[in-house]
Amino acid sequence: MNLLPLVLAAGDDAGHGSLANAAIPVATAAPELAWLGWVLALPAISACLCGLLAALRVRNKLPAVLTVLALGTAFALILKVYLSRGPDAAPVIVHLWDWMNFSWGEGPWKSFQADVSLYLDSLTLLWMLFVTGLGTLIAVFASEYMEGERGPGYARFFFGVSIFLLAMSALVMADNLVLLYLGWEGVGLASYLLIGFYYQKPSAVAAAKKAFIMNRVGDLGLAVGIWLIWVNYGTVEYSALFQAFTEGGGAQGGWDRALIPFCLMLGAFGKSAQLPLFTWLPDAMEGPTPVSALIHAATMVTAGVYLIARMQPLFMLHPDAMATVAWIGGLTALLAATIGMAQHDIKRVFAYSTVSQLGYMFMGLGVGTAFGAAYHVFTHAFFKALLFLTAGAVMHGFAGQLDLRKLSGLRRVPGFGVVCWTMLLGSLALAAFPFTSGFLSKDLILVQAFSEPRFVALGWLGLATAGLTAYYTFRVWFRVCAGPVAYTPGEEAHGDHGDHAHHGHADHAGGFHPHAPRLAINGVLLLIAVGVLLSAVPGYMALRGEHNWVQEMVYHSTAVRAAGVAHVTTPVAFGLDPHGLVTVFGIGLGLGGILVALWLHLLDRRMADRLRTALRSNPLTGWLPTCMENKWYVDQIYDVAFRQAAWITSHLLHFFDRHLIDGLLVNGFGRLPMMMGRLFQPLYNGALQGYATTMAGGLILVLAWVAWRWLGAGGLA
Amino acid sequence: MNTAVEMATATATATASPAVTVALAFSAVLFGIGLVGFLVRRNMILMFLCTELMLQAAAIAFIAFGRMRMDLGGQVFVIFILTVAAAEAALALGLVVLLYRRRETLSAESWQELHE
Amino acid sequence: MSSPLLLLAIPVATAVATAMGPERAAKWTAFVGTLAAFAASVVMAVQFPEWHSGAFWPESVEGSALQAFGVSVTLGGDSVSMLLLLLTTFMMPMTIAGSFTAITERQREYYTWFMLLEAGVLLAFLARDFVAFYVGYEFTLIPMYFLISIWGGPQRRAAAIKFFVFTFLGSVFTLAAAIYVAARHADMTGVWDFSLATLTAFGSEHMTATEQFWVFLGLMAGFAVKTPIFPVHTWLPLAHDQAPTGGSVILAALLLKLGTYGVYRIAMPVAPSGAVETATFFGILGILAILVTAMICWVQTDVKKLIAYSSVSHMGFVIMGLFAFNPVGMQGAVMYMVSHGLSTGAMFLCIGMMYERFHTKEMDQMSGLARRMPVWGTFMVLFTLASLGLPGLNGFVGEFLCLMGTFVAEHDQPAGYPGVMGPWFAVVAAVGLILGAMYLLIMLGKVVWGPLKVPGASADPHEHAHGDVGHGGLPRDLNFREIALLAPLAVACLAIGVYPRIMLDVTEPSVRETLVAYPARVNQHNAERGLANPAQGRGVAGAGSTKTEVRP
Repeated sequence: MNLLPLVLAAGDDAGHGSLANAAIPVATAAPELAWLGWVLALPAISACLCGLLAALRVRNKLPAVLTVLALGTAFALILKVYLSRGPDAAPVIVHLWDWMNFSWGEGPWKSFQADVSLYLDSLTLLWMLFVTGLGTLIAVFASEYMEGERGPGYARFFFGVSIFLLAMSALVMADNLVLLYLGWEGVGLASYLLIGFYYQKPSAVAAAKKAFIMNRVGDLGLAVGIWLIWVNYGTVEYSALFQAFTEGGGAQGGWDRALIPFCLMLGAFGKSAQLPLFTWLPDAMEGPTPVSALIHAATMVTAGVYLIARMQPLFMLHPDAMATVAWIGGLTALLAATIGMAQHDIKRVFAYSTVSQLGYMFMGLGVGTAFGAAYHVFTHAFFKALLFLTAGAVMHGFAGQLDLRKLSGLRRVPGFGVVCWTMLLGSLALAAFPFTSGFLSKDLILVQAFSEPRFVALGWLGLATAGLTAYYTFRVWFRVCAGPVAYTPGEEAHGDHGDHAHHGHADHAGGFHPHAPRLAINGVLLLIAVGVLLSAVPGYMALRGEHNWVQEMVYHSTAVRAAGVAHVTTPVAFGLDPHGLVTVFGIGLGLGGILVALWLHLLDRRMADRLRTALRSNPLTGWLPTCMENKWYVDQIYDVAFRQAAWITSHLLHFFDRHLIDGLLVNGFGRLPMMMGRLFQPLYNGALQGYATTMAGGLILVLAWVAWRWLGAGGLA
Repeated sequence: MNTAVEMATATATATASPAVTVALAFSAVLFGIGLVGFLVRRNMILMFLCTELMLQAAAIAFIAFGRMRMDLGGQVFVIFILTVAAAEAALALGLVVLLYRRRETLSAESWQELHE
Repeated sequence: MSSPLLLLAIPVATAVATAMGPERAAKWTAFVGTLAAFAASVVMAVQFPEWHSGAFWPESVEGSALQAFGVSVTLGGDSVSMLLLLLTTFMMPMTIAGSFTAITERQREYYTWFMLLEAGVLLAFLARDFVAFYVGYEFTLIPMYFLISIWGGPQRRAAAIKFFVFTFLGSVFTLAAAIYVAARHADMTGVWDFSLATLTAFGSEHMTATEQFWVFLGLMAGFAVKTPIFPVHTWLPLAHDQAPTGGSVILAALLLKLGTYGVYRIAMPVAPSGAVETATFFGILGILAILVTAMICWVQTDVKKLIAYSSVSHMGFVIMGLFAFNPVGMQGAVMYMVSHGLSTGAMFLCIGMMYERFHTKEMDQMSGLARRMPVWGTFMVLFTLASLGLPGLNGFVGEFLCLMGTFVAEHDQPAGYPGVMGPWFAVVAAVGLILGAMYLLIMLGKVVWGPLKVPGASADPHEHAHGDVGHGGLPRDLNFREIALLAPLAVACLAIGVYPRIMLDVTEPSVRETLVAYPARVNQHNAERGLANPAQGRGVAGAGSTKTEVRP
């Protein structure tokens, strides 16, 4: 159904106004698609088999083969269902089995239904295609990358990857919020296991713990959101829920209903590393690079975006929530970009870049274009995964060296050509070089931002961040891949087991020889690079006003109400309309950033250091480089405000429990009989006359009482 | 036998004639003296003496009540008391002698081992 | 012979056989006996006809004592009792098998006490008469006392005495309250009867609101100490710390459930309006339990004490679920009871296996044990995740439903359910989810992950000279017996997590029956006290009227 030309031709605020009340497609049951349960079963089976292989201490690449087969088959199944349906088919529900399903009567809140069922609409398929596709490719990459770990560690890695895919599939394909929550926590678990893969490094263990706990803080928001939804709408299943939204169950309702999007937002921010819950993502780089590429760049971190896109109709009922999402996204983007500019570890730069780009996606959702956000997710998945994988290839080849001050000119190192040129392609996309996929997707988001008066400031923020993005991206590329050839190997590549001897060949008499990547790595890099190129096509077509695949997918899903992009033609600033503004400034700032990076990091590398020293010595700007390098002290603030406060509280409570409750009350109560006994002990001193006195005293008291009663009853009368 | 009948008919009407009252008062005073003496004295024999005093005070009380109720049971009981007192005196003084032999003193304060 | 009696006879007979048999055969006799009990319980479960009706079966009267006072040994269970029964008979063989190498002295006595413990617990779960329940409930204190004080740690005597006296002190109030109800019943009908059916029916209908309030508090005194609820929980960490592994497992998995089972089966049905009146109080105690003990867990250095405090935290969730007074919450509470038994029992077994090899429980002295014992590490991580409530494992369903029940407790009032807790209780309690993740992951990070540090050994992590044999004659990683006893627990955790319907379906009728008296009783109670009838509806934030519009 080709609605888009109509939409585009409608003039001001077209994409916004006419879609705002568009009908959310109604889902139907499709039991014939039950074979899609295999998409969940296959990673589960490969996880079990990998676990078994780990227990059997198998030393070959079988776990990788099994995982790649499972994920590849899952991808094929998803592709099959997509091709057989087409983007405009109605959503379907595939019920697999009853999970939590009970009712205790008729009426509101008398039943609760959360089954293991799949909800397939085009948004699901869009996400699943790139999740399973990239998952398969990255598993292939990892089969070579992790070969130094062959043995139980290798199998454990692929176990983690399989669990991740299982959970992510459950999250994306769920038909109710509780199954989504299961997937949500499951990806957190996989992330925990994989970040802590090199579990003998305390930093990795700490990073894994931090990731899980920060995610849990977000999950609290998600859980409360689910409960609020159940209480307010009586169901947690999508089909019934969206019907409720459509029937206008909406803007009226108390503050508890308005709270729902904020709670869901908290969950999304935790999972997608936005302010204030973003510090776990850079630390997550402790995990092996394929993990960073798959989980922390392309798939898991997009779960938050998916949640908000899925719940778009709910969010659109609450403009404040949308604004909050947009602003947090924008601010995170800027903040992360500033931090990324000052980091030296390549993976850390890319991690902060991911946080920053996720900020763009949330900005897109907040300003009202789920299409822009989804498209940015899609393009970012490809180019960011590509960048991480190239960083991984560099790490693999240089014994773990990731400091960009210690690597240079790698494009001239034999064997690293593919790595460097694909890294260039990824960098161009990330820096939003004109007509790359990144440019096109960012364009959509920023145009939408400028189209609404209240988001214009945010648009400028986005443009500024785009400039910074271009700068730090090319800082990496110019330092690492360009310039004179020079490299220093790292200390170790994959943990300190000491039982593999493949990293580098430092035992050669001549010194260190880089370990060039072979087919699995190069092949995957090339395939993903092709993906980066192809992912630009839908954006290009959107630019020319033609209907494109991604927009179709979003339009036919529950995010239909935000599937358009505004085409405002009134000038916003400098006499340019939003589209022109973004184009001019976007290209200008992007190229400017690249040129500055060129100057500071290729042409005259010492310039960067001189600049930094100049900034630091000047009292007005001295704080800037320090803060940026120290990540704005966010980690330290959290440490003091939460960890230490909690630690002190815990000790206080422990003291309270042990000494006051246990010591004073319980043991004290136990000492009461003893104390009472001691009270009377002086009476039993062994002195005969003492005993006699006591007896006499008692006797006198009794007599006195008798006499008193006798007299009182008129005894003497 | 008339006296017996008279006494029997007088049983129902228990009156406290002055003689009975004096006797009861005397008994109470004697008991009090005995009690205080027992509590205050340290010499074991004198403590025993005071115990005997209390016992005899009880005997006098029995006589007084017997007179009040015109029941000869009171006087019978006094005989019992005297007998028991004699037996008990023998035992007690025997114990006192043994205790004296242990500690060379008749002071009751020297025996305080049975305490908590 | 009815199946409950048979089921009770097996542990007793095994106890006798163990006590009279040779020392070396003691553990095998006990093991076979517990397997037989498990088999008998499975048979009984298969025969049980009332899974979906909430009624009791078989209600067989096995004899009566003190007939003048209406005490008879009536045995029977409903679906919730059957679930707890199966939990008991399932955990016992694991525990016995887990103690094989840990206990080397006085083995006969040890296993005899275990079998008697099982008999007591089974009697408590199967009893349909209050005195029989109380006998079973209190009787378990005796074997536990001996288990702790003979085979326990350095401060075992103090721990055992504290455990015994504290629990007993609470229980006498329970007995007093029950006797009061029975006495009132005798006053009114002239017949003494201690059967639970009678006490429930009488108590909820004929006692005044004030009486119900005090009776409820009395009944709760004992169950609160046993559960344990927050301020009266201090016996538990000490008891767990000093108890031998088998004792800890049974204490956590079964004895704690006696408390919550008592609340569910006796306290709530007998004094419903008392329960409703005190619900806020117990809700707050539940929240305190969850949050305060979670924070205390964080600073523990002894891993068994940490798990002990975490048990208190989890029981806080159960209490909140029970006092939500709606089917969601109560079903969640029952599920959580069973799940907690499985996962925490399994964690104690794992810790016991580690303790047998390294003889220390201090987390400062060890690190990175996954390197040396990967299979053990896997099980430990699995059970920790179950404990932390990861969806897909058993803890999640219970926890989620308890919190959800609490969240909507007030909202069910239009439907007549008298819940008093509301969304804020649930939100604050849900912070416990975060804290739970925190301390459990910190524990994992110290014990399972990290650089390898074996307590008491040299610093060389590649101790190949040691061969594959660890300390105490046990292999470095788990041996077949240990894997064989942890694997069924792992499978159970996973199965319940993935398909909780097996339990949700059967607990629903029982919960419905328990709650069926509530609306009427509460209305009666409110009428007595001159309060407004809650069935007039009271929505949240004034949105009550609009809610009815958007029913899908």
